[in-house]
Amino acid sequence: MRNSRLITGAGKAVAVAALLVWSLLPIAFIVMSSLKPGRDIFAVPTVYVFTPTFQHYASLWTRWGQFFDGLLNSTVITAGATALAVVASTCAGYVYSRNSGRFHDASVMFLIVVRLIPPIVVTLPLFPIVNAIGLNDTHVVLMVLYATFFVSLGTVLMRTFIDQIPRELDEAAEIDGAGRFTILRRVIVPLAAPGIIAVAVFVVVFAWNEFLFAFIFTATNAKTAPLVISEMLGSMDGVDWGILFAASTVQLAPVLLFVVLMNRYLVAGLTAGATKG
Amino acid sequence: MRSRNIAQTLPLIAPVHILILSVIVIPSLFVIWLSITKSTYGQAPTFVGLENYFQVLSDPAFRSALWNTVVIVVFAVHIELAVGLLMALLFASGLPFRRFLLVAVLAPYAVSEVIAVVMWRYLFDPDAGPVTLALKGLGLPILDWAYEPSHAMILIGLLTIWLHLPFTFIILYAARLAIPADLYEAARIDGATPLQAFRRVTLPLLGPAIVVALLFRYIFAFRIFSEVWLLTGGGPARSTEVVAVYLYQEAFSYNAFGTAAATAWIMVVASLLLAAGYVLLLRRQVTANAQ
Repeated sequence: MRNSRLITGAGKAVAVAALLVWSLLPIAFIVMSSLKPGRDIFAVPTVYVFTPTFQHYASLWTRWGQFFDGLLNSTVITAGATALAVVASTCAGYVYSRNSGRFHDASVMFLIVVRLIPPIVVTLPLFPIVNAIGLNDTHVVLMVLYATFFVSLGTVLMRTFIDQIPRELDEAAEIDGAGRFTILRRVIVPLAAPGIIAVAVFVVVFAWNEFLFAFIFTATNAKTAPLVISEMLGSMDGVDWGILFAASTVQLAPVLLFVVLMNRYLVAGLTAGATKG
Repeated sequence: MRSRNIAQTLPLIAPVHILILSVIVIPSLFVIWLSITKSTYGQAPTFVGLENYFQVLSDPAFRSALWNTVVIVVFAVHIELAVGLLMALLFASGLPFRRFLLVAVLAPYAVSEVIAVVMWRYLFDPDAGPVTLALKGLGLPILDWAYEPSHAMILIGLLTIWLHLPFTFIILYAARLAIPADLYEAARIDGATPLQAFRRVTLPLLGPAIVVALLFRYIFAFRIFSEVWLLTGGGPARSTEVVAVYLYQEAFSYNAFGTAAATAWIMVVASLLLAAGYVLLLRRQVTANAQ
């Protein structure tokens, strides 16, 4: 009996170790390589002990100024897309939570079906239109695109979270003479905060990391950080891996920290999003 | 009362619907029009019926892209499901430092496709990648992904699994946690072995979560673009193209908007077919919620 428990324990330890290696090692390699002296990055055999250097970060700063413009663009676009998606989803989620009936059910169904359309499909007509109205290569176009591809999930998530707030609270506020907007602002938003954070986490991670739309709709002014990194990766005169790793670390660190801090909301959001929408 | 109700709720749902209609629905419908016309920049479109669809479906490059996409979807999604399920069982069996391990396993969710490509290109660099060297050290074959299309496909598959395993795992783990412990207690008292308990209790009760995870991942894996585009660009010689890369090439490299639009609608229809079962499940749930 004792033996079999030992074996189970050892088996679990091996499985956990394998999972940790699988999940974290690729990330660790990026960070570690960004600190390696240039000649050690592709050394055979792989170098694990070295004197850390910040030379690649310094070169990134001096040679790829546009990467830092990209970070700034990413920040602005992520903030805008998140604000837009959160406000729109919370308002709609409130309505869908408090009203049912054929019209509302059908319109929720419609939101879910829309998620099936692959994003690349809409780039075909939007590309010439965005060009024609002069929105190409602006922050606004990416904010709107990112928010739109998350408002359907956001609405369904917010409906699930708002469903848990007792209707009596709305009614009490209504008796006190509060209108819809006041109830939403004073009653729903404070109590639905975990849902709002969950939606925000999804949009932040998506907008910060997105590649396809940024690739198609930006050229110079609104270029995001992932796009600049992809240009480093596709550089014709050879990839400077030290700089590439430094840039990757800088792009990854904030969003990784964010996911670690927000992991509870992320798990709650994923669970609610998958079962309800 | 009723009209007042609508007047008050409409402004609240309007932003979501305006965004979705103007950015997704109307453009997608316009793609149907594009798909039955022939046009390039600076030319008036002419109506050609279903010609674009025939042209796409008979294009060997499209067929190869479709085949590659199906291979990635089938392999990556099912491996993800199997591993995600094992992980869910492992976590549910009780682990020390559970919260820390959960966060560690979740980490790849934060990684963008671009960074993931940087990572995996480095790890599997044919000359000096750490994984390549480790494989060589163990006497195992290495992935010559820059020249060998099938090896490139394996690398794309690994990358996709790495990026999306956290999602599949969380769905299954949440569902596993929702199974009441009494059921396992009852199974144990009835003399069920752990394997029997898994087959007769865990698996049936995880059924809906498995269906949801699978369909989500089928639909999202079918759109795969960035991983392929950034890793191989579809090459060598278009051999690793997937449907979304084929679409991009038609539209933005060859300016063939008609065939690109036809490809787009083939993608939409394929996604709808994949989702048909899912939508039926959901409709049942929505009506159940309403009651």
